[in-house]
Amino acid sequence: MTRAAQGLRAWLLQRFTALYLAAFLVYAVARLLLTPPAGYDQWLAWMGQPLTGVALTLFVAALALHAWVGIRDVLIDYVHAVWLRLSLMAVVALLLLGSGLWVTRALLLAAMRAAQVGA
Amino acid sequence: MVTDKPAPKFLNLLQIRLPPGGVTSIAHRVSGVFLFFTIPFAAWLFDLSLRDTGGYRQVLDWLHTPLLRLVAALLVWSLAHHLLAGLRHLLLDVGIGVERLPARRSAQLVNFAALGFAALYLAALA
Repeated sequence: MTRAAQGLRAWLLQRFTALYLAAFLVYAVARLLLTPPAGYDQWLAWMGQPLTGVALTLFVAALALHAWVGIRDVLIDYVHAVWLRLSLMAVVALLLLGSGLWVTRALLLAAMRAAQVGA
Repeated sequence: MVTDKPAPKFLNLLQIRLPPGGVTSIAHRVSGVFLFFTIPFAAWLFDLSLRDTGGYRQVLDWLHTPLLRLVAALLVWSLAHHLLAGLRHLLLDVGIGVERLPARRSAQLVNFAALGFAALYLAALA
Protein backbone atom coordinates (compact mmCIF):
# COMPACT_ATOMS: atom_id res chain seq x y z
CA MET A 1 0.00 0.00 0.00
CA THR A 2 1.32 3.45 -0.88
CA ARG A 3 1.80 6.13 1.78
CA ALA A 4 -1.10 8.15 0.36
CA ALA A 5 -3.42 5.12 0.54
CA GLN A 6 -2.32 4.50 4.14
CA GLY A 7 -3.17 8.09 5.01
CA LEU A 8 -6.57 7.79 3.34
CA ARG A 9 -7.24 4.55 5.20
CA ALA A 10 -6.45 6.18 8.56
CA TRP A 11 -8.58 9.21 7.61
CA LEU A 12 -11.56 7.00 6.72
CA LEU A 13 -11.07 4.78 9.78
CA GLN A 14 -11.11 7.85 12.04
CA ARG A 15 -14.44 8.99 10.58
CA PHE A 16 -16.23 5.63 10.56
CA THR A 17 -15.18 4.82 14.13
CA ALA A 18 -16.22 8.35 15.16
CA LEU A 19 -19.76 7.76 13.91
CA TYR A 20 -20.14 4.53 15.90
CA LEU A 21 -18.52 6.01 19.03
CA ALA A 22 -20.81 9.06 18.89
CA ALA A 23 -23.99 7.04 18.35
CA PHE A 24 -23.16 4.52 21.08
CA LEU A 25 -22.13 7.21 23.55
CA VAL A 26 -25.27 9.30 23.09
CA TYR A 27 -27.43 6.16 23.52
CA ALA A 28 -25.50 4.89 26.57
CA VAL A 29 -25.46 8.26 28.37
CA ALA A 30 -29.18 8.82 27.65
CA ARG A 31 -30.05 5.36 28.98
CA LEU A 32 -27.84 5.80 32.07
CA LEU A 33 -29.54 9.13 32.84
CA LEU A 34 -33.12 7.99 32.11
CA THR A 35 -32.99 4.56 33.79
CA PRO A 36 -29.98 4.45 36.12
CA PRO A 37 -29.32 0.94 37.51
CA ALA A 38 -30.74 0.64 41.03
CA GLY A 39 -27.90 -1.57 42.22
CA TYR A 40 -25.31 -4.20 41.39
CA ASP A 41 -27.86 -6.79 40.23
CA GLN A 42 -29.43 -4.46 37.64
CA TRP A 43 -26.01 -3.24 36.50
CA LEU A 44 -24.83 -6.86 36.05
CA ALA A 45 -28.05 -7.82 34.25
CA TRP A 46 -27.62 -4.87 31.85
CA MET A 47 -23.94 -5.54 31.12
CA GLY A 48 -24.52 -9.30 30.96
CA GLN A 49 -27.02 -9.07 28.08
CA PRO A 50 -25.68 -10.51 24.81
CA LEU A 51 -26.59 -7.38 22.83
CA THR A 52 -24.83 -5.11 25.35
CA GLY A 53 -21.78 -7.35 25.21
CA VAL A 54 -21.55 -7.23 21.43
CA ALA A 55 -22.26 -3.47 21.21
CA LEU A 56 -19.71 -2.66 23.95
CA THR A 57 -17.04 -4.95 22.47
CA LEU A 58 -17.51 -3.15 19.15
CA PHE A 59 -17.28 0.16 21.04
CA VAL A 60 -14.01 -0.93 22.66
CA ALA A 61 -12.55 -1.94 19.28
CA ALA A 62 -13.70 1.31 17.63
CA LEU A 63 -12.33 3.37 20.54
CA ALA A 64 -8.95 1.61 20.40
CA LEU A 65 -8.63 2.24 16.65
CA HIS A 66 -9.84 5.85 16.97
CA ALA A 67 -7.48 6.61 19.86
CA TRP A 68 -4.60 4.92 18.02
CA VAL A 69 -5.00 7.09 14.90
CA GLY A 70 -5.46 10.25 16.99
CA ILE A 71 -2.58 9.74 19.40
CA ARG A 72 -0.30 8.65 16.53
CA ASP A 73 -1.08 11.95 14.75
CA VAL A 74 -0.24 13.89 17.92
CA LEU A 75 3.03 11.97 18.40
CA ILE A 76 4.02 12.50 14.75
CA ASP A 77 3.40 16.25 15.17
CA TYR A 78 5.24 16.80 18.45
CA VAL A 79 7.78 14.01 18.96
CA HIS A 80 10.53 14.21 16.36
CA ALA A 81 13.15 11.82 17.75
CA VAL A 82 12.29 8.59 15.94
CA TRP A 83 13.36 6.22 18.76
CA LEU A 84 11.24 8.13 21.29
CA ARG A 85 8.25 8.34 18.94
CA LEU A 86 8.35 4.61 18.23
CA SER A 87 8.75 3.78 21.92
CA LEU A 88 5.76 5.96 22.86
CA MET A 89 3.70 4.42 20.06
CA ALA A 90 4.51 0.95 21.40
CA VAL A 91 3.40 2.02 24.91
CA VAL A 92 0.18 3.49 23.49
CA ALA A 93 -0.56 0.32 21.50
CA LEU A 94 0.02 -1.84 24.59
CA LEU A 95 -2.21 0.39 26.75
CA LEU A 96 -5.04 0.32 24.20
CA LEU A 97 -4.78 -3.41 23.54
CA GLY A 98 -4.52 -4.19 27.26
CA SER A 99 -7.49 -1.99 28.20
CA GLY A 100 -9.58 -3.39 25.35
CA LEU A 101 -8.91 -7.01 26.31
CA TRP A 102 -9.53 -6.19 29.97
CA VAL A 103 -12.99 -4.74 29.24
CA THR A 104 -13.83 -7.65 26.91
CA ARG A 105 -12.88 -10.11 29.66
CA ALA A 106 -15.00 -8.21 32.20
CA LEU A 107 -17.96 -8.36 29.79
CA LEU A 108 -17.57 -12.12 29.25
CA LEU A 109 -17.38 -12.73 33.01
CA ALA A 110 -20.42 -10.49 33.52
CA ALA A 111 -22.38 -12.49 30.94
CA MET A 112 -21.46 -15.73 32.77
CA ARG A 113 -22.40 -14.31 36.20
CA ALA A 114 -25.66 -12.88 34.85
CA ALA A 115 -26.52 -16.30 33.34
CA GLN A 116 -25.84 -17.99 36.72
CA VAL A 117 -28.02 -15.46 38.55
CA GLY A 118 -30.78 -15.89 35.98
CA ALA A 119 -30.67 -19.71 36.08
CA MET B 1 1.90 36.36 -2.41
CA VAL B 2 4.19 39.33 -1.84
CA THR B 3 4.11 40.95 1.57
CA ASP B 4 6.03 43.90 2.97
CA LYS B 5 6.37 42.58 6.50
CA PRO B 6 7.22 39.07 7.61
CA ALA B 7 4.33 37.18 9.22
CA PRO B 8 4.14 38.02 12.93
CA LYS B 9 5.58 35.32 15.15
CA PHE B 10 4.35 35.45 18.73
CA LEU B 11 6.26 33.06 20.89
CA ASN B 12 4.68 34.54 24.01
CA LEU B 13 1.63 32.36 24.68
CA LEU B 14 -0.16 35.30 26.33
CA GLN B 15 0.13 37.32 23.12
CA ILE B 16 -1.39 34.67 20.86
CA ARG B 17 -5.04 35.37 20.04
CA LEU B 18 -6.54 32.31 18.39
CA PRO B 19 -9.72 32.64 16.31
CA PRO B 20 -12.68 30.48 17.51
CA GLY B 21 -11.84 27.77 14.96
CA GLY B 22 -8.30 27.62 16.29
CA VAL B 23 -9.58 27.20 19.84
CA THR B 24 -11.93 24.41 18.67
CA SER B 25 -9.06 22.69 16.89
CA ILE B 26 -6.52 22.73 19.74
CA ALA B 27 -9.23 21.83 22.29
CA HIS B 28 -10.20 18.85 20.08
CA ARG B 29 -6.61 17.68 20.47
CA VAL B 30 -6.29 18.39 24.18
CA SER B 31 -9.62 16.69 24.96
CA GLY B 32 -8.63 13.69 22.83
CA VAL B 33 -5.34 13.24 24.67
CA PHE B 34 -7.10 13.58 28.03
CA LEU B 35 -9.73 11.01 26.98
CA PHE B 36 -6.94 8.63 25.95
CA PHE B 37 -5.40 8.83 29.44
CA THR B 38 -8.73 7.98 31.08
CA ILE B 39 -9.09 4.71 29.09
CA PRO B 40 -7.04 2.39 31.36
CA PHE B 41 -8.70 3.81 34.51
CA ALA B 42 -12.16 3.45 32.97
CA ALA B 43 -11.38 -0.18 32.05
CA TRP B 44 -10.23 -0.88 35.62
CA LEU B 45 -13.30 0.78 37.21
CA PHE B 46 -15.62 -1.04 34.76
CA ASP B 47 -14.14 -4.42 35.68
CA LEU B 48 -14.30 -3.67 39.41
CA SER B 49 -17.93 -2.49 39.19
CA LEU B 50 -18.98 -5.84 37.66
CA ARG B 51 -16.96 -8.11 39.96
CA ASP B 52 -19.36 -8.21 42.95
CA THR B 53 -21.57 -6.01 45.12
CA GLY B 54 -18.55 -4.77 47.08
CA GLY B 55 -16.73 -3.74 43.92
CA TYR B 56 -19.81 -1.96 42.61
CA ARG B 57 -20.18 0.00 45.88
CA GLN B 58 -16.47 0.81 45.94
CA VAL B 59 -16.61 2.32 42.44
CA LEU B 60 -19.71 4.39 43.31
CA ASP B 61 -18.02 5.61 46.53
CA TRP B 62 -14.92 6.65 44.60
CA LEU B 63 -17.01 8.42 41.95
CA HIS B 64 -18.59 10.50 44.71
CA THR B 65 -15.29 11.85 46.08
CA PRO B 66 -14.49 15.52 45.28
CA LEU B 67 -11.36 14.59 43.30
CA LEU B 68 -13.16 12.16 40.99
CA ARG B 69 -16.05 14.60 40.58
CA LEU B 70 -13.55 17.15 39.32
CA VAL B 71 -12.08 14.55 36.96
CA ALA B 72 -15.64 13.67 35.88
CA ALA B 73 -16.39 17.35 35.11
CA LEU B 74 -13.24 17.46 32.99
CA LEU B 75 -14.37 14.22 31.34
CA VAL B 76 -17.80 15.69 30.56
CA TRP B 77 -16.19 18.75 28.97
CA SER B 78 -13.73 16.56 27.01
CA LEU B 79 -16.40 14.18 25.74
CA ALA B 80 -18.78 17.01 24.81
CA HIS B 81 -16.09 19.06 23.08
CA HIS B 82 -14.53 16.10 21.30
CA LEU B 83 -17.91 14.82 20.08
CA LEU B 84 -19.22 18.23 18.96
CA ALA B 85 -15.94 19.31 17.35
CA GLY B 86 -15.81 15.91 15.62
CA LEU B 87 -19.35 16.31 14.26
CA ARG B 88 -18.43 19.81 13.05
CA HIS B 89 -15.41 18.26 11.32
CA LEU B 90 -17.59 15.63 9.61
CA LEU B 91 -19.99 18.34 8.39
CA LEU B 92 -17.06 20.42 7.07
CA ASP B 93 -15.78 17.27 5.31
CA VAL B 94 -19.02 16.96 3.32
CA GLY B 95 -18.99 20.68 2.52
CA ILE B 96 -21.49 21.99 5.07
CA GLY B 97 -20.60 25.27 6.82
CA VAL B 98 -17.27 25.75 5.08
CA GLU B 99 -17.75 29.49 4.46
CA ARG B 100 -15.85 31.78 6.78
CA LEU B 101 -18.77 33.12 8.82
CA PRO B 102 -20.71 29.85 9.36
CA ALA B 103 -17.43 28.09 10.21
CA ARG B 104 -16.70 30.78 12.79
CA ARG B 105 -20.21 30.56 14.24
CA SER B 106 -20.15 26.74 14.50
CA ALA B 107 -16.73 26.86 16.17
CA GLN B 108 -18.06 29.31 18.77
CA LEU B 109 -21.11 27.11 19.27
CA VAL B 110 -18.93 24.03 19.88
CA ASN B 111 -16.62 25.88 22.30
CA PHE B 112 -19.47 27.28 24.41
CA ALA B 113 -21.74 24.21 24.25
CA ALA B 114 -18.96 21.98 25.61
CA LEU B 115 -18.42 24.37 28.53
CA GLY B 116 -22.21 24.45 28.96
CA PHE B 117 -22.38 20.65 29.33
CA ALA B 118 -19.63 20.73 31.97
CA ALA B 119 -21.49 23.53 33.81
CA LEU B 120 -24.73 21.50 33.66
CA TYR B 121 -22.92 18.52 35.18
CA LEU B 122 -21.51 20.63 38.01
CA ALA B 123 -24.93 22.23 38.57
CA ALA B 124 -26.56 18.79 38.74
CA LEU B 125 -24.13 17.84 41.54
CA ALA B 126 -24.94 20.90 43.63
